[in-house]
Amino acid sequence: MANEIFMPKLSSTMEEGVILDWFKEEGDEIETGEPIFEIMTDKINIEVESYHDGILLKKYFHKDDTVPVNHVIGFIGEQGEEVPDTPPASDEESSADESSSPEQETAAPAQEPETEVSTEKVRATPAARAAAREKNVSLHNVSGSGPKGRIHKADVLSSGSQGKSTPLAEKMASHHGIDTKNVEGTGAGGKVMKNDINALLAESSENRPENVTESLRGVRKVTAERMADSSSTIPHVTMDFEVDMEQVIRLREALKSSVEKATGQKLSYNEIFVLAVSKALQRHPDINITYDKETITYHNEVNVGVAVAVEENLYVPVLKNTERKSLSMLADELKPLIFNTREGRIDSASMQGGTFTISNLGMFAIDSFTPIINKPQGAILGISRMKEVPVVKEGEVKVSSVTTFSLSFDHRVINGAPAAAFCTTLKNLLEEPYELLV
Amino acid sequence: MKTFDIAIIGGGPGGYEAAIRASSFGKKVALIESGHMGGTCLNTGCIPSKTLLRHSEILEDMKQAKDWGIETGDLKLDWSKMASRQNKVVRTLRSGVEGLMKKHKVTVLRGKGYLEPQNAPEGHTINVISDKEEEKIEAAKVIIATGSKPSLPPIEGLDDVDVHTSDSIFSIEELPSSIVIVGGGIIGVEFATIFSSLGVHVTIVELGERLIPTEDEEAASVIRDKLKKSGVDVRVNLSVASVAKEASGKSTRVLLSDESSLETDMLLVATGRHPNTEVIQNTSIDLQKGYIKTNGKLETSLPGVYAIGDVNGKIQLAHTASAEGLVAVNNASGKPVQTIDYHTVPKCVYTLPEIASVGLTEEEARSSYKDVKVSKIPYSSNGKALSSGNTEGFVKIVAEEQFGEILGVTMVGSHVTEMISESVAFMNLEGTVEELAQTVHPHPTLSEAMFEAANNWLNMGIHH
Ligand SMILES: Cc1cc2nc3c(=O)[nH]c(=O)nc-3n(C[C@H](O)[C@H](O)[C@H](O)COP(=O)(O)OP(=O)(O)OC[C@H]3O[C@@H](n4cnc5c(N)ncnc54)[C@H](O)[C@@H]3O)c2cc1C
Repeated sequence: MANEIFMPKLSSTMEEGVILDWFKEEGDEIETGEPIFEIMTDKINIEVESYHDGILLKKYFHKDDTVPVNHVIGFIGEQGEEVPDTPPASDEESSADESSSPEQETAAPAQEPETEVSTEKVRATPAARAAAREKNVSLHNVSGSGPKGRIHKADVLSSGSQGKSTPLAEKMASHHGIDTKNVEGTGAGGKVMKNDINALLAESSENRPENVTESLRGVRKVTAERMADSSSTIPHVTMDFEVDMEQVIRLREALKSSVEKATGQKLSYNEIFVLAVSKALQRHPDINITYDKETITYHNEVNVGVAVAVEENLYVPVLKNTERKSLSMLADELKPLIFNTREGRIDSASMQGGTFTISNLGMFAIDSFTPIINKPQGAILGISRMKEVPVVKEGEVKVSSVTTFSLSFDHRVINGAPAAAFCTTLKNLLEEPYELLV
Repeated sequence: MKTFDIAIIGGGPGGYEAAIRASSFGKKVALIESGHMGGTCLNTGCIPSKTLLRHSEILEDMKQAKDWGIETGDLKLDWSKMASRQNKVVRTLRSGVEGLMKKHKVTVLRGKGYLEPQNAPEGHTINVISDKEEEKIEAAKVIIATGSKPSLPPIEGLDDVDVHTSDSIFSIEELPSSIVIVGGGIIGVEFATIFSSLGVHVTIVELGERLIPTEDEEAASVIRDKLKKSGVDVRVNLSVASVAKEASGKSTRVLLSDESSLETDMLLVATGRHPNTEVIQNTSIDLQKGYIKTNGKLETSLPGVYAIGDVNGKIQLAHTASAEGLVAVNNASGKPVQTIDYHTVPKCVYTLPEIASVGLTEEEARSSYKDVKVSKIPYSSNGKALSSGNTEGFVKIVAEEQFGEILGVTMVGSHVTEMISESVAFMNLEGTVEELAQTVHPHPTLSEAMFEAANNWLNMGIHH
């Protein structure tokens, strides 16, 4: 019987997902564990792997289609098996049977279909056998990555020349740090020859200046669209102000050990910034707003989003109700949140409900920048690096650590004066931070 | 009009082997030959020359045997018997080739083939002209394998004297008392070896500064010394200014560029060969320095027409012609494209001792690689060479220092033409000096010299 492929439910709040890409076509062979398609939910995109071996018999939805969770997307089964022409109506009750939906966290079904042909001693999938025949690779020379050492097609393909290279090619490869297994050999039976190494070297030197073109997908695509939308629809005004950080530095030094004792986390400037921003926002409710088409919402709670770059993707996990939290509570929450985001273990719920965003580039040699507002929020704060500069204090030139803060605000709904007043409050809070502890 | 899948023009080692391969690919094949099947190689080249050189080898052995205490009394040479053995060998092989054509159902057309100007986008017409008739055939693909013929240099008086080339020399009825060989290349020195061993006084006149300029200099000098020792008059840096019949009418006077002159019974010109390109005279196929221009797939400038062997001027040796023929047939038959790799084609000179080489000479290697290391082992230290009394010669490995890539091997000595195949295999399979040094060679053999040379290259020689 053919097996359904469902739109997985990746979190308790997830209701639908968008198919970003199909990796397989109808009629393609699929193995357990192979990615079949990629979906996106709000901010997370993930490759969904198959739970079954077989042929992709049916695809009911296409790229960019939005599909409710637990809805049948397609079927995997044996060649020629009958499947319905239209997706079977999704049965809400049956969605409780989550073991049959390829949910991310669920473990693989205990019983795996036994597909390998075991006429020989080698355990290999039919696809692996076909690839081995085509590539003239002996399966005995391929190590399998599947259960019980079963050889998958990918193992055959990555086995490359499988140790077949001429002595000369081998020497050249090891000199240049090339693994001959990854080299396509042109000699008899795919043997890697001197010329193959030379071609690879020539190619890599030719390829160096070549540009890489790839289509935007998932989070990057969403980010791109949101950035363009924000920048083109919101009249941004950015105000820069310098903050003398001497007191913040001292505060952090003073509280470091007690915060660490209480939470096991090291106190960093981020928590102090979040705290100061939360306090300032409470005093300036006209900044802690969201603006949606016609309506402005003034938020009672402060939910601060913190921009986190993970490779080429930008995520903004949100700390909720920061106005009610102490430094140690913030440290306790923010550290794991950032860590999980970097590890790719953040759900979309953790990225929603922000009322203000902080983008801290203090670790880079940046003196100031213009952050782009995270819609529908009304403002965003950019933080640049801390640097020692001569400052005049009480008529004397002294060396002090100074950071430039940059507030971008939506001038449609926030005027210059209240924004400036917020900046001043924030500056004062950071320069006299003991007030934060009150 | 008869139509064929593949028509091959020329039945030498290039053409006839190509025909057999094409037929085993299931193609309908025509082979057009104006002379004898087997071409130059079989009729007036490799085979008759090697047959005669075998006589020279035996004579040399007998001379040596006398010193070892094996005497046979006075030597008697019967040229007519030697010549008839030569002819018999040639005839046997030729009828073998003819038999192969029948066996493989190749249609052999006797006559001179001329490629007609192409008038249809696909297919080619060949006009086959024999004494009796003229016939046009059509073929989808054409392989030109018309070979080459001896070329005569512009020497004053050449038309008025009896002059031999390799085409005619194998048919002489009597041995001359003396012979002047113009040209000290491979063919010239092989004939010098043949005639001097038969007691003919030989003079070689070579324009260049040394004999066999295509081979390693050290190897060539071994041959020069040996020829001189056997009484051959080697004149280098000289050319023939003019030739004329002596008043007696029997002998020929040869005037050299240094104004010295020689009187000789026979004159043999071996100054080079000229490609047989009349076959394409009615087409616009590109030539390169007089040869038919081909690419790595052996294609000419006219789609569907290939050229192999001596006529393309790449490497004028029989085994190159054959190898090219197989590649051309493969490509003409629509199989996955093959290209020819010339850099491991071996070259043999069948003098006494022989020269065999593959790849680059030491000189060539040094001019194109930065770090070249050479290891040379003399035959005189090889047990088998000593026991068989063949101590002349050496083996030389030329390899690049970093990876031990074997760039070339040159060997001089007896049986080196058989021994070179090991080096060819090593180079083809890209074995380096290191693997060669680890390869067990049988004892006692001449081939141990290679083992020794490889180990010596690695500074780990056993006997050196
Ligand atoms: C004395 C001598 C010794 C040699 N010794 C060696 C040796 O030891 N080892 C070695 O490898 N090589 C040797 N060679 C070279 C070798 O003979 C040639 O390289 C080889 O024969 C080339 O083969 P081929 O097929 O290209 O042409 P060929 O052998 O020249 O054959 C071409 C054929 O095409 C025919 N032909 C020409 N034009 C036409 C036409 N228009 N229509 C129909 N038929 C045509 C000719 O009659 C000939 O039979 C020697 C050559 C000579 C002269």
